[in-house]
Amino acid sequence: MGKVNTVLGPIASEDLGITAMHEHIGFGLPGCDLDTQWWKKPEEAFDVTIQKLRRFREHDGKTFVDCTGIGNGRDIEYFQVLSRRTGVNIVAVTGFVAGDSALPYFRNKTVEYLTNLFIHEITVGIDGTSAKAGAVKVGVSREGLSELDQRIYRAAARAAVKTGVPIITHLSTEPELAIDIFESEGLPLNRVLMGHADVGQDADEERDKMIASRGGYVGFDTIGYDKEMENAPYWSRPRQDRVKHFLSFLEKGFLERAVISADANCCALGWPGLKGHSVNYLFEEFIPDLRKAGVAEDVFEQLLVRTPANFLTMQEPSLKANPLSNNDIGCVPIIKS
Amino acid sequence: MVEHVEHRSGLVRTVLGLVPAQELGVVLIHESLLSVMPGAEYAPEIDMDKSKIFDILHRKLTGFRRSGGNTIVDHRGMFHGRDVKLYETLSKTTGVHIIASTGLGPERMLSGYFTTPQTHPPTPWPAEQFAGLFIKEVMEGIVVPRVERSGPAGIVTSIATQSGIVQIEENLFRGCAQTGMATGVPVSLQYGANALKDLEMVLSEGIEPHRVIIGGLDRLDAVKRKEAFAVAERGAYVALDHVGWSTREGYIDDRERARLIAELFEKGLGERVLISTNAVGCAKGHETKDIDFNYLLVQFVPILLQAGVLNEEIRILLEENPQRVLAVDAPATVKRETAAGSKQK
Repeated sequence: MGKVNTVLGPIASEDLGITAMHEHIGFGLPGCDLDTQWWKKPEEAFDVTIQKLRRFREHDGKTFVDCTGIGNGRDIEYFQVLSRRTGVNIVAVTGFVAGDSALPYFRNKTVEYLTNLFIHEITVGIDGTSAKAGAVKVGVSREGLSELDQRIYRAAARAAVKTGVPIITHLSTEPELAIDIFESEGLPLNRVLMGHADVGQDADEERDKMIASRGGYVGFDTIGYDKEMENAPYWSRPRQDRVKHFLSFLEKGFLERAVISADANCCALGWPGLKGHSVNYLFEEFIPDLRKAGVAEDVFEQLLVRTPANFLTMQEPSLKANPLSNNDIGCVPIIKS
Repeated sequence: MVEHVEHRSGLVRTVLGLVPAQELGVVLIHESLLSVMPGAEYAPEIDMDKSKIFDILHRKLTGFRRSGGNTIVDHRGMFHGRDVKLYETLSKTTGVHIIASTGLGPERMLSGYFTTPQTHPPTPWPAEQFAGLFIKEVMEGIVVPRVERSGPAGIVTSIATQSGIVQIEENLFRGCAQTGMATGVPVSLQYGANALKDLEMVLSEGIEPHRVIIGGLDRLDAVKRKEAFAVAERGAYVALDHVGWSTREGYIDDRERARLIAELFEKGLGERVLISTNAVGCAKGHETKDIDFNYLLVQFVPILLQAGVLNEEIRILLEENPQRVLAVDAPATVKRETAAGSKQK
């Protein structure tokens, strides 16, 4: 079928297996490393991370997409060791979680600079290693889709067109503006996962439908941030609300546009994380919830294996892509009703 | 005079530990050693070869030492490339005392952890939270991020946006003042649009004026408003810290700077004046003024003499004043260290 970049080199798409599409080995806002309140003993951090990844393997999980952008704790050599020691494929991303977590050096850069930066990390390597990024991360700042966010979206679209990797977004706020940018750069929406569509404060079924109808993927990928959990962060939501939201999306015939993931930290860097939460929530809580609601087994194969492989497989690079034309190729509906 | 005696016996926190103030010799109080725009270390086009960085800084510090310099204060704070382990090695190998700073700013150099925390709404850090971070760097040691604490910070610094101080910078300035009061280290601030106003805001925290340094007072706008005189009369230190810079860059030139210094001495304010060059030893990811650490001693001192500044006054500028301000305020030190010591047990 094709290939996907992992931190230990490219692998065949067929080899991805059960894939968690939006996870973190460890995420922290830039600057958090200066504050000792978050420091953990490295041997303990390693231990807890290995335990979670090993459990992921026990659930037959095979590929872990780490969506930590530049400067947010992305640590390629560490990912390589974790991957070697657990057998879990780890896909790293280039890009930024959002404009407001881009460090000062990158904030005033042009679209051209950012495009080349992302392409470098996809085709040459990240942080001086030969490990290449398998996707581009972009996202919405706390104040909304800022001018810097939009520059990053545009650069990501150009890099995606040129290299064939997909884009994963943090939040789906202001989707029309985001989609306009992708399409104006000639990137089909089936190369974009509009993420965190399931966060409590931002849920919008009409928006989900609009994205899926135009071929985009909709991320139910903060699964497990349940209001019922102790010290749940502001983006959490009642557990059953999320389940209902997801079932409603499937009922509209959008199974092939749906992505599930937990956005969990194996070991959080600059915040407490959510105690007891991990990628394994998907297998231990969410899928059982769906089973109880009568969802058939073959749906899980689609969600966890086929869709991630379709999405992550690198497309033929269109090195001569013209950003000013081909608006229409972005809008081909790929919905199966 | 009593004050002088006290401070002469004071101690200064260098990266290699406590040093008696009078052993600091000639001091440059506002300089940068390694200066990395936050994030540049992740950019593929930036060469972060540490052996090259060491060579550059070693050469420049040796040049400074040969010209008669003894001490350099790195005033770029905790998030602009500061590498305290490198500074320890440089200090050991060149014999130059290095004082490292804690602190953050200006706003455009802050990062998401401070400006948009993971709370709803994302309220930027208040002064007390910044103070908590900075105080620990003085009392417990400078952080080597996510690895260890090292030697102590000897000064707390911040910078305001030149078009005018913004809210989070006001929080930073107040946090610096709180740090100065809690630890006894001096507070060094680059003012925004109005030096005296920024100083009054900081003094409203209760810090003594003689523990505060206002930098950038050789900026054209500050000189026009005669802010150096007002700040010195208020009892704070005046840093004319862009020696070697000129009108093209927004500062008065060296001849005018020398005249300003002579005038400050004439008005009896000489004991509140500090001079430095705001040079960057090794810059990564940003443009910088090309000026060596020995410029002040080699080029500017003759200009001062020409302007009629006496040798004794030059000694006050380069030795006595910085030594006095860098000496940690003794009572605060004792109090805090006792508290910290008992906590560790």
